[in-house]
Amino acid sequence: MTVLPFLLVAAVGGTVSLIVRGSRGWSTAVAVGALLGMAVTAMAMSPTATIDIGGAVLAGSAWLRIYAILAAVVGLGLVAVDVTAFHEPDAPGVIVIASGAAVLAIALQDAGVAVLAATAGGLAGILVAAPLAGAARAAFVGARELRAIAIAGTLGILATAWLARPVGEIATQPAVFGLAYLAFGVAVAVRFGAIPFHQWAARVADAAPGVALPLLMAWLPAAFAAVALVWIDQSVALIALPLGTERALIAAVGTVSIVLGLVAAWIQDDLEHVVGYSIVADAGVALLGLAVLDPAGWEPARTWLLVFVVARSAFAAWVVAIHGGFGTRRLPELVGWARRAPVLAIALVAIAAASIGWPGLTAWDARSALIDLALPRPMAILVTIAPIGALAIYGRILLVGFGQPRDVVLEGRSERPRWPTPLPRRPMVGGPGLERGFERVAHGLSGSLDVLWVLPSAVRANRMGFAAIAVLLLSGLAFLVSGGGLGVPEAARAVPQAPASAGPTGPGSSQPPPSSPGPGSSAGPGSSESPGDGGSPTIQPSFAPVP
Amino acid sequence: MNVGLAIVAGIAVAGAVLAVSARDVRAAVLGILILLLAAPLVASPLPSPAAILARVASGLLAARFLTIGLRGETPTAGTRIGWPAEALAAAAAAVVGFGSHGLGALPLGPAEAQAAGFACIALAIGPLVTARDVLRLGIGAFVLVLGAVLVGIGLDGPPGDGGQLVSSFLTVALGGAVGVIGAAARSGGGYVAIDATAEPRGPRPPDAHRLVAPRDDRGAVPVGPVAGVPPGRTPRRPGPPRPPTVDVP
Repeated sequence: MTVLPFLLVAAVGGTVSLIVRGSRGWSTAVAVGALLGMAVTAMAMSPTATIDIGGAVLAGSAWLRIYAILAAVVGLGLVAVDVTAFHEPDAPGVIVIASGAAVLAIALQDAGVAVLAATAGGLAGILVAAPLAGAARAAFVGARELRAIAIAGTLGILATAWLARPVGEIATQPAVFGLAYLAFGVAVAVRFGAIPFHQWAARVADAAPGVALPLLMAWLPAAFAAVALVWIDQSVALIALPLGTERALIAAVGTVSIVLGLVAAWIQDDLEHVVGYSIVADAGVALLGLAVLDPAGWEPARTWLLVFVVARSAFAAWVVAIHGGFGTRRLPELVGWARRAPVLAIALVAIAAASIGWPGLTAWDARSALIDLALPRPMAILVTIAPIGALAIYGRILLVGFGQPRDVVLEGRSERPRWPTPLPRRPMVGGPGLERGFERVAHGLSGSLDVLWVLPSAVRANRMGFAAIAVLLLSGLAFLVSGGGLGVPEAARAVPQAPASAGPTGPGSSQPPPSSPGPGSSAGPGSSESPGDGGSPTIQPSFAPVP
Repeated sequence: MNVGLAIVAGIAVAGAVLAVSARDVRAAVLGILILLLAAPLVASPLPSPAAILARVASGLLAARFLTIGLRGETPTAGTRIGWPAEALAAAAAAVVGFGSHGLGALPLGPAEAQAAGFACIALAIGPLVTARDVLRLGIGAFVLVLGAVLVGIGLDGPPGDGGQLVSSFLTVALGGAVGVIGAAARSGGGYVAIDATAEPRGPRPPDAHRLVAPRDDRGAVPVGPVAGVPPGRTPRRPGPPRPPTVDVP
């Protein structure tokens, strides 16, 4: 199956969910149905199926398939937390539409068109950043975000258009390639809100609903970064040019984001700011992936993108659950939260483990590989151990959680299961034998009705517990991806098809799987394979400097 | 030079000038609509009829989203330098774009598209950098992206039908985003919400004869008519508090 059914389900489901946004139940139900449909269609997606729509080739890949599955599953988790903690009317529909736009951008083979799709997807996020019923503050945040998206999109469009043609005599001019490469790198940095382009992201982290935060700051920019990775590897890295200055600039932005993002997250008291800045810090690693013009950087960069988006989504969901449960997201007011929400405490530990990792874990190895490839040795060592500093962030939150609970926490919800009302007792009054049997059946039916009648109220009373379970599942998923589960490293290693190798077209068309390089092989993304034809020459990238 | 294309490109740029310089919201939306309708036609060869239809439909839908979000009589701040200056800046940028067609390599699209794209980008810089109201900023973002798309057409030629379809999605998304931001700003009291939460960073000496409105409680600058100030101008910003005067006997 091609990517088309996924996109159709996302487009229809997201649009309908937004149209019926006035009715909370229907909007959420439609979004949940769409996300379920997206998960199913993503699982049925063939990594080698392509489809041509008016000259725009949508090609599947193993990495795209995992991205789509994770987007749908994480989206379900976020909607579940949204329902149980804080409901934002537009969030479910926007999650569906934006996930579809991100997958569309990654599937498009033409980088110029993919940038348009990624930019359009980013604009969908403004619906939640500046909600229709919002006020001046929402408009201010939305305008900032719109400006960042427009500037990043413009840089991306110009860079891709500049190098999309037979470049003729400028092929020997590194400045042209350097400028285009730098423009796209800056575009990705702006989209991620990397330091020093973080002002809009800080405002969004402050104002946007928490459940939409991973979408605005991680999933959609990650799709943009994935497009940039493919474009850089196919348009810039293939022509081995000395781009040391440009690479150094992008690496500097990434490094500064990693270090200062962690520091900023550490000193924040607002948990959503902590999420926002930790996203910025992790995005710095993704930026380092763009600074690596080496085939060896392909696999860790794409692995990190998946680890990053899932782990940050779990953290954002954790914050929403805490906020919904205790009515505040300020850390000083949350003293003792872990005693009232032990499941969320376990989830936080899992999120920390998935985010930081340890040597040998896929997430750690991917991050350290990117840092080693992008930075000189002494600095690489420092930046590699910098994420360990995130232990201080999570440790601080946990430490606060095990203090003596304060009023805010005591008055908040608890994870302990509760039943809203005592069930009535029905004494047996009938005589022995058949009469008592009939009475037992009647009591059983009445008791069932009692339970069913109170069930909605019971669900509401146990919202904190349901939210905690959803967060725990998300954190488990993050840990799974961080450990290399779901075939993430293999999918990240696989090389996408070049546009020219787009095979038979039409819905459902599929091709035999390309011979993906085995573990350890460093066939670069630029070495585009042609599945099926077998005879086309394979371009081998050369990273030697041009004499 | 293709005269027909040049005329269409000129119409597109005129729409952009109107969009970034008008104080009346309806005029600004009209300018955006002109730009949206003309931009797909600045291409050689022309896109297929279906693609043009899709772009026109998306342009109308985007304009509709804008009018939904920007309903009302609230004016925008408009341009600070006046429409003739904006038009001249656009013309200069268009000349640069036309002269540098291809940017050093063989172009696959028309020079007129690159000229119009450069003009739109030049027009967008002002609102994006200096705008104090969210609507102008949104319109600037709109014009900027459309300008980049035009430059892309000038460099790489018009995209295929699939690319035009994605461009249509982008157009609708832009219209919806600006409309949503405008609606949020209107519900917050006006379009001047860009500095609703932040004080200016430092003193900003006024230009000669420039009149600036006093800030309200939220720190925002009201746009509506103010007593004692001629139409089209905003009142002077109050200076620092002066020491009380005492009558010397």
